[in-house]
Amino acid sequence: MTGIYKNLRKDFLVEFRNRSAVNISFAFAVITTMSISLVAGGTSFEPHIHAILIWMIIFFSGMNGLAHTFIREEDEKNALFLRLAYSPEDIFISKLLFNIIFFTGIISVICPLYLFFLQARPLIPQLFIATAFSGGLAIASITTILGAMVSKAGGKGSLFTVLSFPLILPVMWVSITNTALSIEGAESANYRNVLFLIAFSGIIACISYLLFRYIWVE
Amino acid sequence: MKIHRLVYILMPLVIYMSFLWAPSAAILGDASRILYYHVPVAWVAVIAFIVAGVESIIIIIKNDEQSLMREERAYNTTLIGLVFTILALVTGAIWANLSWGSYWNWDPRQISIVILLLIYIAYFSLNSALEGNESRGKISSVYLILAMVVMPLFVFIIPRVYDSLHPDTIINADKKMHLEEAMKITLFTSMGAFTLLYIYIYNIMNRISAVKIKIREKRHAL
Amino acid sequence: MIKIGADSITKRFGEHLLFRNLAFSAESGESFYITGANGSGKSTLLQILAGIQRPYSGHVTWEKNNVTIIPDDYLKYSGFTGPQVNPYEMLTALENIEFVSGPDVDLHNVNELLERFGIYKERNRQVKFFSSGMKQRLRIINAIINDPPVIFLDEPGSNLDVEGKAILYSFIENLKPGKIIFIATNEPDEIKLCSRGIVLDDRYL
Repeated sequence: MTGIYKNLRKDFLVEFRNRSAVNISFAFAVITTMSISLVAGGTSFEPHIHAILIWMIIFFSGMNGLAHTFIREEDEKNALFLRLAYSPEDIFISKLLFNIIFFTGIISVICPLYLFFLQARPLIPQLFIATAFSGGLAIASITTILGAMVSKAGGKGSLFTVLSFPLILPVMWVSITNTALSIEGAESANYRNVLFLIAFSGIIACISYLLFRYIWVE
Repeated sequence: MKIHRLVYILMPLVIYMSFLWAPSAAILGDASRILYYHVPVAWVAVIAFIVAGVESIIIIIKNDEQSLMREERAYNTTLIGLVFTILALVTGAIWANLSWGSYWNWDPRQISIVILLLIYIAYFSLNSALEGNESRGKISSVYLILAMVVMPLFVFIIPRVYDSLHPDTIINADKKMHLEEAMKITLFTSMGAFTLLYIYIYNIMNRISAVKIKIREKRHAL
Repeated sequence: MIKIGADSITKRFGEHLLFRNLAFSAESGESFYITGANGSGKSTLLQILAGIQRPYSGHVTWEKNNVTIIPDDYLKYSGFTGPQVNPYEMLTALENIEFVSGPDVDLHNVNELLERFGIYKERNRQVKFFSSGMKQRLRIINAIINDPPVIFLDEPGSNLDVEGKAILYSFIENLKPGKIIFIATNEPDEIKLCSRGIVLDDRYL
């Protein structure tokens, strides 16, 4: 427990003192949302267009920041220092929690901004929020383990996107569909998809937890 | 155990059966014969990936001198899987065009196969990016295991959950096959033949890998 | 009482052979040097002994009171430092030390070491403002803060000034009884600190 806590604390301290990294991800999210609203110029969109746009912004903001937590360890040459101090399991859980917290933050910024500036009003707000967070949880889960792999492969930006995209696509598919339903207020909307996303996150997180050490330790 | 040599007999038999022996289907006519190629090819793609996943699990669990050979085997089966996925996609598109009028229909099952294809192309990107890294085999194995876990989602669950134009697959809710006897026999023979083909190709690729490894070991001993 | 043994250790990177068939052992109370030309594999051998890297062939065995320890646990009994072990630049020296400290360490031990190595006054400065010599002193503190029975030092004197080296060498002398110390180095003074060692030369190719 303490190992996880100490690592989380360390990651937050390092990321927030190096303000540029965190700022870039949030800035990207805000700028993209604002750009879209400017271009949209007051046109009203169908619910599924809104859903697609929101998740595109969320996806690319994620691609910008989610691998960073592992790539930074390699780039800043702290990987060996970290490896010596803590078990792979502690490190993985703390990185996963960091990504979940970070991405939840990003989504919490994107969604209200988007809804406000593009004047979309979800008719079933609880479903909208549940989908946004469970989709984010799923994306954070996949990208943590993939970020670890990419960091060992030299961390070139496009490799991370290439690896993540096909695995995130089903999450996006489900999230977009559900978000559209929540905006539309369709009667068929239910929480089955949210459960699916949470279950998906759980499975990916469990497998990643078990397999992480084979990526991290020689 | 040269059972895969049977493919020399079985494959020509299947070609004969699929084109000449089996009757045409009711609505599609002769075009339906693509069934005897599309289904087995998709089946082999799935098998190849399961083998890759299982091989990867063994690589992770058992870390010994055999690991290098296992890593080569995982790579080989993934490559075969990739080729057969492309074939499944292409034969599927041809059939889609014949049945529904266009090659691409935004059908969940078609999209699922494309995603599967992307997952395995990503594997090859990861593998080459890890060139020279000692842990390459293990990291790629982790990726394959992850892919193997996610794969059933695409191939079996999502197309079922979302409405699809794709006809019910062999593993369907009815648990019945809507084919005539002769067509069933042809289909199953074809699946057998293609499975043997997979084993045949896999076997050859593995033998080449084994020789490569042997050469490297001999060179190191000098 | 810990005993570390190396048996027929061979390491290669791809096609390049680093060394082969190394064999030696060390136990508590001994200090062992590893030396050789640049690129001969000193750092690599050190990491293999510490369980951080795996040999191409051969075995490393650790025994505590004649009971074998599994490789995953080696780091629980050792401290390791080297040029590739870098503390977090964005954290202060104190925060870095606290990050690697186990539960048995209290602030008093930490301050003592900081004083000893002359960086007590800079303990609340971020490491990114440290000189290379100060960073090296911090590295050494990180390796010994948990008072491990086995210590791996990869070029410990690098970047240190005369005073820093003096502090380091006297500290190592005090550590020797009861611990195994491995030093990978080219510095004659550091080799002298050790009772015996190995030279990575053509003999092992």
